[in-house]
Amino acid sequence: MKVVLENLTKIFPSRNKKSNEEVVAVNNFSFTIPDGKLIGLLGPSGCGKSTTLYMISGLQKPSGGKIYFGDDDVTEVSTENRGVGLVFQNYALYPHMTVKQNILFPLQNLKGADKLSKEEMLSRAYEAAKLVQLEELMERKPSELSGGQQQRVAIARALVKMPRVLLLDEPLSNLDARLRLQTREEIRRIQRETKITTVFVTHDQEEAMSISDMIVVMKLGVVQQIGAPQEVYDNPVNLFVAKFLGTPPINVFNGHVKGEKLYIGEDAVLEVKNVPDQEVIVGIRPEGFYLAEDGALSCELSSIEVMGRDVSIVSKNAACTAPVIRSIIDADTPINPAAKTVRYNLRKNKVFIFNKETEERIYFEVN
Amino acid sequence: MVDSKHQWKAWIYLAPAIILLLIFTVWPIINTVRMALLEGYSSLGAAGGKTYEFGFGNFVKVIKYKGFIKCLYNTILLCVLTVPISTLLALLIAVALNSIKPLQKVLQTIFFLPYVTNSIAIGMVFTAMFNIVGSFYGTENEIVITAGIINNIIEFFGGKAINWVNYGSTYAANIAVMVIYIVWNALPFKILVLLGGLQSINKQYYDAAKVDGTSRRRIFTRITVPLLSPMLAYVIITGFIGGFKEYSSIVGIFGEGMGPADDAGRLNTIVGFIYDALPNQQHGRASAAALILFAIIFVVTRINMYVSKKKVHY
Amino acid sequence: MSKNLTTTMHEKNMQQISSRQKVMKFFVKFMTYAFLIAMALIILFPFYWMIISSLKSLAEYRLSVPTLWPKKIMFGNYAEAFNAANLGTLFMNTLYVGIVSTLLSLVITVLSAFAFARLEFKGKDAMFGALLATMMIPGELFTITNYATVTNFGWINTYTVLIVPFLVSVFYIYLLRQNFMQIPNELYLAAKVDGTGDLKYLWKVMIPLALPTLISITILKMMGAWNSYVWPRLVANDEAHRMITNGLRNAFTDTTGDVNYPVQMAAVALVSAPLFLVFIFLRKYIMSGVSRSGIKG
Repeated sequence: MKVVLENLTKIFPSRNKKSNEEVVAVNNFSFTIPDGKLIGLLGPSGCGKSTTLYMISGLQKPSGGKIYFGDDDVTEVSTENRGVGLVFQNYALYPHMTVKQNILFPLQNLKGADKLSKEEMLSRAYEAAKLVQLEELMERKPSELSGGQQQRVAIARALVKMPRVLLLDEPLSNLDARLRLQTREEIRRIQRETKITTVFVTHDQEEAMSISDMIVVMKLGVVQQIGAPQEVYDNPVNLFVAKFLGTPPINVFNGHVKGEKLYIGEDAVLEVKNVPDQEVIVGIRPEGFYLAEDGALSCELSSIEVMGRDVSIVSKNAACTAPVIRSIIDADTPINPAAKTVRYNLRKNKVFIFNKETEERIYFEVN
Repeated sequence: MVDSKHQWKAWIYLAPAIILLLIFTVWPIINTVRMALLEGYSSLGAAGGKTYEFGFGNFVKVIKYKGFIKCLYNTILLCVLTVPISTLLALLIAVALNSIKPLQKVLQTIFFLPYVTNSIAIGMVFTAMFNIVGSFYGTENEIVITAGIINNIIEFFGGKAINWVNYGSTYAANIAVMVIYIVWNALPFKILVLLGGLQSINKQYYDAAKVDGTSRRRIFTRITVPLLSPMLAYVIITGFIGGFKEYSSIVGIFGEGMGPADDAGRLNTIVGFIYDALPNQQHGRASAAALILFAIIFVVTRINMYVSKKKVHY
Repeated sequence: MSKNLTTTMHEKNMQQISSRQKVMKFFVKFMTYAFLIAMALIILFPFYWMIISSLKSLAEYRLSVPTLWPKKIMFGNYAEAFNAANLGTLFMNTLYVGIVSTLLSLVITVLSAFAFARLEFKGKDAMFGALLATMMIPGELFTITNYATVTNFGWINTYTVLIVPFLVSVFYIYLLRQNFMQIPNELYLAAKVDGTGDLKYLWKVMIPLALPTLISITILKMMGAWNSYVWPRLVANDEAHRMITNGLRNAFTDTTGDVNYPVQMAAVALVSAPLFLVFIFLRKYIMSGVSRSGIKG
């Protein structure tokens, strides 16, 4: 089932009665979620990602725009008739019911033609439990489960009624680091097996990048960029997206273009064809640096951190907007730790330049 | 770290409370047991030097006494009728109140009003509403001047006037009036507690239920009631405790006669029975009755707690 | 993967269902309001009836078809009620007993709660447990002996008998102790370091912080005095010391039959008025106190 969002907008009335300032939580969001894909809605808190999710679920009504499930316009359809499965951030498992009762609950709600016999319900509940590997824990109460197990119950409960769309709100945020890694693989596996169109919300870019088929980066209610994770990472449309994706984060410099050459400080670091002279912001991915005796960019060496396969060099440059520059270099590269300065050359496809005012990307020929 | 200076300071702070509790709480507990176990005890008699034998005669006498059985019956009947009715009604009102936004505060205040009333004073208002002025014998000779507003309303809807509280009224009619008054009086506290409970239930459970397409009825029975069960248990237990001590609401409606003019004492309760025994110097009997009351309350509370342990989650 | 979980949901005409549900939703909202307003009217009706009856003439009250608003407003009923029931004396007696017992009770409660919350002494926990245990016992059990005790003390028909026996409320001590416990102990230790005495600390720090609870206790205690009936009737039923509730019941012994209801209702309204006034201005404290206690008055 594909999900189409058409000019979706959500405006919250001002909380303060005196001022009439409205909050635009989601602004004119259009996107077609392809059938059977896993989509990550990504952005810092307050960017409207959860609001979008809740509008798809029907728990919140859009102020404008339309939502289609397949070809059905569901904008006016109430939550209970949309056939969505929703996993809440805090799971919202019914505390007075066992795991089994929790998973059975949505099935017992089915009416009319959808009504199931007791045996059918049980077999489906056990099937869903098996999918999330919970068969052993069916008689427990939620309070007797670990966070990760509770989370899987919540997924089973959302899946058991065969939703047309599965929605997950910050599914991993209440888990510890180790469980988080494990659970996100689990979510990926379940989604692949069931082929249910799935949308999940997260503020953690690593999480979104690692399992999504596509990510949607949002900021203050406005969609910044949509695409496959690698594509968005390799080709950010603006400074916000470039900064939001990647660990360690992108290094940002003040620079300028003069005569089709990009300068950082006094160093001319790159040739940029067809870019008019102007002040710019330069973003360089950590892996965009490589050491060279006669490197164009000279920086003051602070420290070297060996991370096994790679080496991270921490250095300083006056033009950098952050206190330090972090670059990642192949561990085989010989470096003199006693040296005062390091010189880098840059990989063209890892360098992005942005308009100083609009922070939009300025494209230049890479070859 | 406990130095002696602190020791005596603490006891000085506690002294007024302890002295008063010793006189008016601890001694009465001991004395009540003592009086109950001395045959036919009367403190006036004791002061006159009379001695009493030890025994369970007071308890036997109380239980065999017809007046006590009637009081016990009245008390239990009122309890069994009013606790479920008021709890259910309070639950419905609280759930309804919780589901609305406009007018919620105003209605909540109105529903709390009966709490801040004097049960004797408002009882008199209820009597006025049910009272028939004139003579009402249910025969041709009756001279009704005004039948009371409740009967007026019944007649307006085509019903027949009922003798609720007057001379010649039936026991059933009396009990009906008492149930209405007690429920009216009991609602505010129950609504307050249940509404507080409802408001503390995490809204996400309702969102989750909505996503799963749960019907209103199922949300109520499978989610609201179980999650509210600790509060429900609380109002039911306090309801029973209060119910077994019913007394002044009956005085409010029927006056100290505790019944209609032709049958005083018809609606007497256990507490009424205890108080009646005091001016008559029947302290042994009153003590035995008080201990029986305590035992009943204790057992009923225990049963309630046992049931709620099984039914109440948490 | 079995086909169970991969087959799509039973398709239905969602639009149609949705509009039907909207009608249903409106209907439910409507019924909710109808139910609540009907219940509210039932709750309010006795108050309404009390007020309009108190303003009617006896002749109008006795009309076989009742009027819903007095034809002629008779404020005179209130004056008559005031005199007939001797309400002035009753008000003063009740107020006196209420204020004195509330003040003394507050002092005792605060001192005890402070001792249980902050001071260390041998047997503290056992003592507190014993206090809580007494809450389970119905008050009627105490009355029998207390009646004899106050008789022996020669307190019958005095103010003392109305005030002293109920000064200590274990529940209020418990409530205030809980409140005191929430105040960080560091504040107490800091005060000690500064050389602040216990009483000064209690007055300057603990009492202001626990003020909402103290206000709740004050109101409930005053309301208790106003509504008390059984004990005053037993021990102080003379003209000079009679309390308001008891006086009201005494002044209008006839409840049924041909009673002068307008005057009686005026008296009831006068007795109820102070309670309503307190409620209107201090609703927050009353409701928070009540939801924690579950006892009336």
